Amino acid sequence: MSTFDSKHAAHLHRHIHSHLPSDPALRVKALESLAVEKGLIASETVDAWVEAYSEHIGPMRGAKVVARAWVDPGFKARLLADATEAIKEFGFEGNATGHLKAVENTDTQHNMVVCTLCSCYPFSILGMSPAWYKSAAYRARAVREPRAVLAEFGVDLPEDVAVRVWDSTAELRYLVVPKRPAGTEDWDEERLAGIVTRNSMIGTDRDLSAGSV
Amino acid sequence: MDGIHDLGGKEGYGPIPVSEGDAPFTHDWEQRMWGLAREGICPSMTIDWFRHGLELMVPGDYLTFSYFQKWATNYLMLMVDAGQITLAELERGYVLEPADPAKAKTVDQVVEQVRRACTDFSVPEDAPAHFAVGDTVRTLRQINHNHTRLPAYARDCVGEVIAHHGCHLFPDEGAHNRHVGQHLYTVSFSAQELWGDDANPRDTVTLELWESYLVPA
Repeated sequence: MSTFDSKHAAHLHRHIHSHLPSDPALRVKALESLAVEKGLIASETVDAWVEAYSEHIGPMRGAKVVARAWVDPGFKARLLADATEAIKEFGFEGNATGHLKAVENTDTQHNMVVCTLCSCYPFSILGMSPAWYKSAAYRARAVREPRAVLAEFGVDLPEDVAVRVWDSTAELRYLVVPKRPAGTEDWDEERLAGIVTRNSMIGTDRDLSAGSV
Repeated sequence: MDGIHDLGGKEGYGPIPVSEGDAPFTHDWEQRMWGLAREGICPSMTIDWFRHGLELMVPGDYLTFSYFQKWATNYLMLMVDAGQITLAELERGYVLEPADPAKAKTVDQVVEQVRRACTDFSVPEDAPAHFAVGDTVRTLRQINHNHTRLPAYARDCVGEVIAHHGCHLFPDEGAHNRHVGQHLYTVSFSAQELWGDDANPRDTVTLELWESYLVPA
């Protein structure tokens, strides 16, 4: 049973810092062997989780949701009203999306998502987060200078487009719905999903290109 | 706590590592760590005790370790803390008396486990909400010394309530295994309120904040 004692936890962290090699590969190996020997997990189950998040659960899920919102106004209304319920239509609900909110980019507003205090992310719909999202630089700068951050991602945002940065401080998670690019009017959902980038659903990409597929 | 984890608005961190690409994992050990964490190998912890554990890491390690490196270190701490493994076992690297092995799961089983992990963090309470959408609120200047979710950059600032979510699990208590709810709001702050007059007057930052972090403005 966890102690929930902050001082005890800090003491253990200092002990681990001083007595164990810091090489992460060794630490994870120790963790896995001990967990397996204690009967807490089978190594094959770790393999299954890796495959699940490499092959089945990733940003292609969010892309399908965005594409449907673009072609189906009824779905878009349901998504913007209650994204947690709406993604159940795909079976994409799950880890970290129990309180999902979809926020739509418009001609006058751009949305961008960060978690400054840890690295909260809507896993069941976007998969594992990219390394930059978890970096100290992104967590520190996204709230303070979002336009400079966007510029580093190649997004040149006009001064008159407002930026709203959503700092994920609670269990709400955010899915940015990017604008549908011109020239895709006759595309079907599957083709549209192919041009929705992961970064556009986090808000570090804005103008999707019909020419990129 | 005023910990090293509270990075919002801190300066000097340099460019975003965009060039590292979008790959979810760059090393095998990262994948293994993710799989171990998803399976819930420390069942007695709460989500906020997990986060608090990260905050309590040695500060220099927190800043220099990668995400999964922090997780590995935190899980070692959490499992020793919970009495699941001992420091002696950790330093030796194996256990003297292995338990019966766990049953292996298939990919289909864990994908279904993800779907079932859709957790509702609402914790209904009888207490009436003190704020409503449209209200102007001020955040506290002082926070508690343990786990809390009011970042330093948004303290003692005035914002507008733009959504009320009912009562959600209160993390300051959840980190200590107390399952109580408190009204939760989305509060929007102008970038100029947070960062000064040089910020773009159109820009805003929103945070989810619990009622006890707020006073009427």
